[in-house]
Amino acid sequence: MTSSAAAAVIFENVSVVREGVRILEGVSAAIPRGSATAIIGPNGAGKTTLLLALLGNLDYSGVIRVLAPREDRAVRLGYVPQRLEFDRGMPLTVMEMMVMGRQRRPLWLGIRPALKQQAAAMLASVKAEHLAARRLGALSGGELQRVLLALALQENPDILILDEPAAGVDIGGESLLCELLEQLRRQRGFTQIMVTHDLSLVTAHATDVICLNRRVRGQGPVATTLNERVLEATFGIHLGLADICKKNGLHNHSQDKEASHD
Amino acid sequence: MIDLGGLYDLVGRALPVECMQARFMQQALVGLVMLAPMCAAMGVQVVNFRMAFFSDAISHSAFAGVALGLILATDVRLTMIGLALLIGLGIMAVGRRVNISVDTVIGVFFSAVVAFGLAVVSRDRSVARDLQRFLYGDILTVGAGEILAIAALFVALMTFQALAYNRLLYLGLNPTLASAHRVRVRAYQYTYAALLSLVVIFSVGAVGVLLVTAMLIVPAAAARNFARSAGGMFWWAMLVSITSAIAGLLISAQSWARTATGATIILVATAWFILSAVTSVLRRR
Repeated sequence: MTSSAAAAVIFENVSVVREGVRILEGVSAAIPRGSATAIIGPNGAGKTTLLLALLGNLDYSGVIRVLAPREDRAVRLGYVPQRLEFDRGMPLTVMEMMVMGRQRRPLWLGIRPALKQQAAAMLASVKAEHLAARRLGALSGGELQRVLLALALQENPDILILDEPAAGVDIGGESLLCELLEQLRRQRGFTQIMVTHDLSLVTAHATDVICLNRRVRGQGPVATTLNERVLEATFGIHLGLADICKKNGLHNHSQDKEASHD
Repeated sequence: MIDLGGLYDLVGRALPVECMQARFMQQALVGLVMLAPMCAAMGVQVVNFRMAFFSDAISHSAFAGVALGLILATDVRLTMIGLALLIGLGIMAVGRRVNISVDTVIGVFFSAVVAFGLAVVSRDRSVARDLQRFLYGDILTVGAGEILAIAALFVALMTFQALAYNRLLYLGLNPTLASAHRVRVRAYQYTYAALLSLVVIFSVGAVGVLLVTAMLIVPAAAARNFARSAGGMFWWAMLVSITSAIAGLLISAQSWARTATGATIILVATAWFILSAVTSVLRRR
């Protein structure tokens, strides 16, 4: 593959079988370095599964190669989950969440001022600086998503992985989030991998696309890849307009027997 | 062996009440002010990880530990510790691999250790009294050797808490997110399970099988209501556990009370919890 020299991630013949159900079948795809690649497909197409395989969180066959941009250190990932499942009653402030992965000194002995400053700057970059003292469980869907983005960015990732970033975010917040991501990607030069079933998001904010429905149904730059034939193979229904795609994305096709995996 | 006589005398002078002049009371207090905060600190994560049932299974393995000690004709304390570690790490290992609910995995281990203990005891009636001692526990009979063992565990555990508190919080928030962001989830999970098993089995002698989980859960649950931050939750858990332990010990020794120490400590902690729940409700208004 000629694009592999400039690829950030390469999937080679990746298959996942869970409880006897084939969720992914021989997925081979490349994600170009520095791109904003969207993985699209209907519910149950295996999008989240592919991300979890990439994160090393489930067993798969085949090879996933994550290529380091520099040889002197391991690849750093940033992950923004779809809907973070957590205990909302947990007394944990946004600031504490930001430093808990970076500071060794226990939080009950205080937060180091330098880390606090860095975390505040990071929160400011996602327009969430006013949330620092709030409890994580008290945030709205959009606020939580932005804070989780700050947490992932703080890893200074080479690859930023987002699972349905717009889920649970209102429409205004959705485009705000996407514009923010685009701006950050330009500034920091990370590769962005975003799972979504929302085609309007892809056409507006992604550079590349992988169309997934158990198998790869099409991949490449958005402009040349998203044609009627590919969309029909991916979503299984003849589609014309992006907003119809969105509706049909929620409508499950008969071959996707497994529940959506979140 | 290290002589703790000076420390005990100090306790007697610091608490100049009649009941605290007896050596066994001073020893009990020293043991409790180490056990209670250990349990409370680990309890913060027990609550965050929802592992109450896990600690129940470990404490009930005490029965099987005693039974095993009798069969092998060795020191029951060793078999209790060994079995607790085995069960704790076993639950963690199976729970990480098998695709069924962790509750179910723990339930199976729980039933197995209780059944094994009962089976052995039913063969030999004289053992029943031994087991009863572990059912209710008695902090007033801890020996000097046990105090030293508790002190060693105290140092190890508090060091672990100081080093791992933040990462354990990450795990409690969401393990998938933690592992994506380079937290060594598996290492922390196993170390935590092993230390929790040790704390639980050491506490069985003090408060008994039935109340160990309460020592872990109640101060942490109260702390969760009082605290506004994860750092604060730790200190609230310390405050509630230590004051409950001291007050419980003193009350249980009064002539008007004469109650079991372990149970009295838990009752004081429960009073703290009720206060915390009221505080939390009032704050939300």
